[in-house]
Amino acid sequence: MTKILTGGVGKAEVTETVKKLGLDGIEITVSNDMDAAMKLRGGQADYFLGTCHTGAGASLGVLVGLLGKPACHTFGRSVPTEDEVNALLAEGKKVFGFAIDQIDVIAPLMARAIAARG
Amino acid sequence: MALAVFNDGVRPFMLDFIQGRSTRSATTAVSFGLSAGFIFGLGAPMALSTGVLNPWLVFLPTDILGILSPKKWIAPLLGGAWGAVVVFGLNGANSIAHDLPVDFLTALQQMSTPILFLFTLFPVLAITKQFGRLRGGIAAVVELALVVMTMKVWPDIFPGSIAMAVGVLTLIGFAVNKDLAQRKADRAEAAKSAAAGGLPPEVKNGAGDDAEDPMASLFGASALRLRRHLPLFMLLGAGVCVLAQSHVFGGGEATSFLIAKGDYAEAAQVDFYRAFGFVPLIATTALASGAYGIAGFTFVYPIGYLMPNPFIAAVVGATVFALEVLALSSIGKVLGKLPSVRDSSEHLRSAIGDALGLAILFGSLMAANVMGGGLGILIVGGLYLLNESMGRPVVRMAAAPAAVIVGGVLLNILYWLDLFTPIKG
Repeated sequence: MTKILTGGVGKAEVTETVKKLGLDGIEITVSNDMDAAMKLRGGQADYFLGTCHTGAGASLGVLVGLLGKPACHTFGRSVPTEDEVNALLAEGKKVFGFAIDQIDVIAPLMARAIAARG
Repeated sequence: MALAVFNDGVRPFMLDFIQGRSTRSATTAVSFGLSAGFIFGLGAPMALSTGVLNPWLVFLPTDILGILSPKKWIAPLLGGAWGAVVVFGLNGANSIAHDLPVDFLTALQQMSTPILFLFTLFPVLAITKQFGRLRGGIAAVVELALVVMTMKVWPDIFPGSIAMAVGVLTLIGFAVNKDLAQRKADRAEAAKSAAAGGLPPEVKNGAGDDAEDPMASLFGASALRLRRHLPLFMLLGAGVCVLAQSHVFGGGEATSFLIAKGDYAEAAQVDFYRAFGFVPLIATTALASGAYGIAGFTFVYPIGYLMPNPFIAAVVGATVFALEVLALSSIGKVLGKLPSVRDSSEHLRSAIGDALGLAILFGSLMAANVMGGGLGILIVGGLYLLNESMGRPVVRMAAAPAAVIVGGVLLNILYWLDLFTPIKG
């Protein structure tokens, strides 16, 4: 079971969107930046999806500080392609930030890519 | 010097820059990438529509210029040059716009009524999102009753003032209450498991301390770094406060429109409550990265609007900043223990977005109606919908005011072609 945590301004929306997809093998829960950072460090969770207006502030703030930039990626306000997401996951990125008004597109994209990795 | 950046999204990346793990040009690129949409999509349209400066237009570019500057002394020169460009550019654009046959800047003042009244409701939205329909519904009824009562009893006060204050306090009360109850429950459980001969409480506590340690050391180092530069921050606080006092600047999405209309007391209120949505965010990102916010916790904005003259504003602004920087690490510690309060701030921010989104859209359509009746509504509403369907190249919040500007220009062209007669107001 791959565990995904959400945080930031649109955390409830992200969780809801991903749950609606009904993907097997992933579990997504609402969290917050500080808790999520500790859980990712401790191996109690695998991925973090953060949202805010810039795609990097509220969503990534504490996580970049505690997990280091190499583990984090922000899409800013742009929408990535499936290939880009897969490449980032293959690189070992665990923390992703994106803009709140792109949740409907990016959250399912991320969830499907993570689920596909098993 | 990487001491303060306005963009909450850029702050996390400053840590790598401060510690030398990322280059100046790479950090500048990050800052530009995250800010560009807000400068051109939010800052510029808002400033053009209100004639009032805003943080996105003024502070985001100074973030970029500051990070870009290879030498310390170049930064203030570049920042000052940007300030001059903005002020002269805005004044020029403003006086041209007011002289046009279809004056879209005056039309935009339509916006302040929906903004003020809908903004009143934002604590209710946050309470509903965080604590469910029942409490949200009750809060909505209470706020509405307070608004009606204020209108009857104190006709001189803005009707939303008391309701907003009560709403924000209720939300914070709920959150603190929830966190305290949770901590009590945690402690009781620990005691129970110890009594049942499970893990001794020391082990559990020990593990907890261990888990908190990296955060504490990271936060401590950042707080110390910021404190060492206290005099510079005081200077910054004084500057921002004087800027707000001069009433050519509005700190939030709603405030620009209020300042433009001269409603300073209302503007101060709106920005004061808005700040609660940002304090935890700014505190944690500042403590995690070692870079503070250019406007601090943004409390200097509302204080600035209300100051009688620039000198007092400077002194007060410097004092506020000093207190904020000194309190930073204790604020971080308290917030670490109050996860629901941090949640509340996220819900507040999202509620502000929702409330203002509707208010600004509605206000823009009203402005369109004043400018050009049905044709105006068609152009402005149409441009807004077009932006939505194209995947929002302009930030949603600014799309409608930007559409009013474009619509205003279009109507002027149509007038010039003898295809449109301005509506007399």
